[in-house]
Amino acid sequence: MALTISDAVIWQETADGVSLYHTETGAFSTLNETGSKIWMMVEQAGEREPIALSMSRAYARGNDAVSRRIVTEVNQFIGSMVENGMLLEEA
Amino acid sequence: MTRVVVLGGGLAGVLAAVALTRHADEVVVLETDHYPASPRPRRGLPQSHHNHVLVTGGIRALDRLLPGVVDDLLDAGAHRRNMPGDCLIFSGEGWFHRVRTEADLIACSRPLLDEVVRRHAGIEVVQGVTATGLTGDAGKVTGVHISAEIRRPGRGHAGRLAELRTTTGTPLSDLPQIARTGSVRADLVVDATGRRSQAPGWLAALGVSPVEEVSVPSGVSYATRLYEGPGDIPAVMVHPKYTPARGGTLFPIEGGRWIVTMTGDPPLDEAGFLAYARELRDPVIADLIAKAKPVGPIRPCHDTANRRRRFEDVTLPEGFLAVGDSVVTVNPVYSHGMSVAAMTAVRIAEEGPSQRAVAEVADRSWRMAVAAPRKGGDAKVGRAMLSSPGLAAELFHGQALIPAVRDHHAVFRAMVDDPVEPLTAEQAISQFAWAR
Repeated sequence: MALTISDAVIWQETADGVSLYHTETGAFSTLNETGSKIWMMVEQAGEREPIALSMSRAYARGNDAVSRRIVTEVNQFIGSMVENGMLLEEA
Repeated sequence: MTRVVVLGGGLAGVLAAVALTRHADEVVVLETDHYPASPRPRRGLPQSHHNHVLVTGGIRALDRLLPGVVDDLLDAGAHRRNMPGDCLIFSGEGWFHRVRTEADLIACSRPLLDEVVRRHAGIEVVQGVTATGLTGDAGKVTGVHISAEIRRPGRGHAGRLAELRTTTGTPLSDLPQIARTGSVRADLVVDATGRRSQAPGWLAALGVSPVEEVSVPSGVSYATRLYEGPGDIPAVMVHPKYTPARGGTLFPIEGGRWIVTMTGDPPLDEAGFLAYARELRDPVIADLIAKAKPVGPIRPCHDTANRRRRFEDVTLPEGFLAVGDSVVTVNPVYSHGMSVAAMTAVRIAEEGPSQRAVAEVADRSWRMAVAAPRKGGDAKVGRAMLSSPGLAAELFHGQALIPAVRDHHAVFRAMVDDPVEPLTAEQAISQFAWAR
């Protein structure tokens, strides 16, 4: 699943995290540290599964249950960003 | 020979007549009132005592229709100010910085504008003639009934009928028929008789469906007074922030005068007017007028409701068009009436008479006037608007009836950057090299 940042989004890394502004909906938000990491990975990798796996490897410390939860939460986060139009996803 | 008869010799009627000379063999403008010999308010235009400004959309339209007329207006003493570059504005968010946009306003008295436009247009208006109804049927308007006085004998064998001339001064060729029938034949009748237009009733008498009229109260009244004052000052605006919507404006106009308007529920006595100005969110206007000499009385204006007559929604007969305040009147705080008239005239000149085109121009102003105030919004963007050229442009271009494009990068910077420290009143005033 290829992910791209919507052309309608203006964004920037700031001291507080990544700030996003959707020029069509007017939605503005600043992502927390984890959200900012995922956003930067979307920008570089552009694939949902590698991002989830990478986050799982970095934070699960070999714990399968934690790993599954991280994968689920990353997918939920990306899903919400797709839903609000910040990210576009194509099969 | 195609003939247009325009009812109403105010700004909307004169500009419509100018536009229609491009589409008809002859145009006749009938005005109930008599114009004064020099630019001063007239009985038939009670709002002419109050503040009128042209905004960029109207300025551009006027110059397109009558090239050079804006220069004539400025030469006659009108003042052009950029918004907010040449204006001292205390909005609900705070004081504006002097950033420049493409939004301008031209301030002068309404009588001066009317006279300069009429002179520049060089068209003859038949004065002292009142239209009393339409001739024709629900399918086609064929002319207008005129008041009986003009058919009474006067000097010369044609009496006052001889005053019926086209905009070029040519006597009408069918005077005997007009004398006999009491009506003037027309291929197109344009109603530019203003907010008190009788046209819906006249159309109903021909069997046309009722024209819907929407009225939205503005909830405010006005009081206006002229003062003697120099022209080298900014336009000053103190906007209300909370209800009651108390605000004030001061515009320099021709003749070394200021036109000062208090909005909300201003008193009409001398002491009350000054006290009201002093109690606004900032007393800058009170400070100015305290040192200035008043000219004439304080004049009230209570007729500030927004009104829209939806002529375009009924099946109008051929040969009828309504323009100007007859179609839309918005709360004078928006100062859109004259600009809408000019923009409408340009559409008519370029596209021919079309009630739909009139409605399109009217609706932009109408929507702005009756839109519910936006609740919430981002306080950071509102604050940044005071100093950001991109954000100020969006606001003022909308107010000036020119394309208002959102500067997304300016919005983003407003969200991300530290807010600019708001100006104090003293700092705002000192931008104009003028101490309180």
